[in-house]
Amino acid sequence: MLVFTRRRDEAIIIGDGIEVRVLRTGQDAVRIGVTAPHEVPVHRREVYDAVRAANQSAAAAPAPLLEHLAGRLRLHPPLEPVE
Amino acid sequence: MATPAELEVVTRFGTFTVDEDDIVTFAHGLPGFERCRRFVLVSAPSLDPFTCLHGIDAPEPSFLTLDPRRVVPGYQTPLSDGDRHRLGVTGTEALLWLAVVHIDDASARANLQAPIVINPKRMVGLQVMTADTNYAADHLLDGA
Repeated sequence: MLVFTRRRDEAIIIGDGIEVRVLRTGQDAVRIGVTAPHEVPVHRREVYDAVRAANQSAAAAPAPLLEHLAGRLRLHPPLEPVE
Repeated sequence: MATPAELEVVTRFGTFTVDEDDIVTFAHGLPGFERCRRFVLVSAPSLDPFTCLHGIDAPEPSFLTLDPRRVVPGYQTPLSDGDRHRLGVTGTEALLWLAVVHIDDASARANLQAPIVINPKRMVGLQVMTADTNYAADHLLDGA
């Protein structure tokens, strides 16, 4: 891992389009601004990890007997797709 | 006009035939399956009320998915500017929203917190990830 010391308002750049800037520092928290091209998704690590864990366990679950399940589900009627 | 090539997809929910034209590209895969970029969404009577989002790149992950509005009427998760750009949303085109469903012996649950959204006009999709939501990642679908 690369390690930098940055002060408030200082930044690092990654590649040719990503900037990570320290906006504010506190005792236990740092406020960070990320500037990245639209093609590059930026996520909080813990949010991404939670979605990853949920996806992996959903993909690993055994195939259920859907005909047994269907009657137990509480669902609303289908709708047409909208924006 | 050439007929689109057919593709046989083998999922743990059954084997289905889809058109190559039905392939949806997820530029960054899905969290946990980052290298799987191409998916097909399978609808079949045997899957009802679910659809199956099946990855056709290794490791070929398969998910049962459900329209989140069938779980919560009026369901809405806002899209960031970045997500709109990555989906190629230009105006008011209809988008397809899917909640990943997780079923085990005890319960059936839907992830309403991180919906998958597909722009059918461009056949691109992504999973929305936001820290700012009141929906549950494990919304109970059955009475159990």
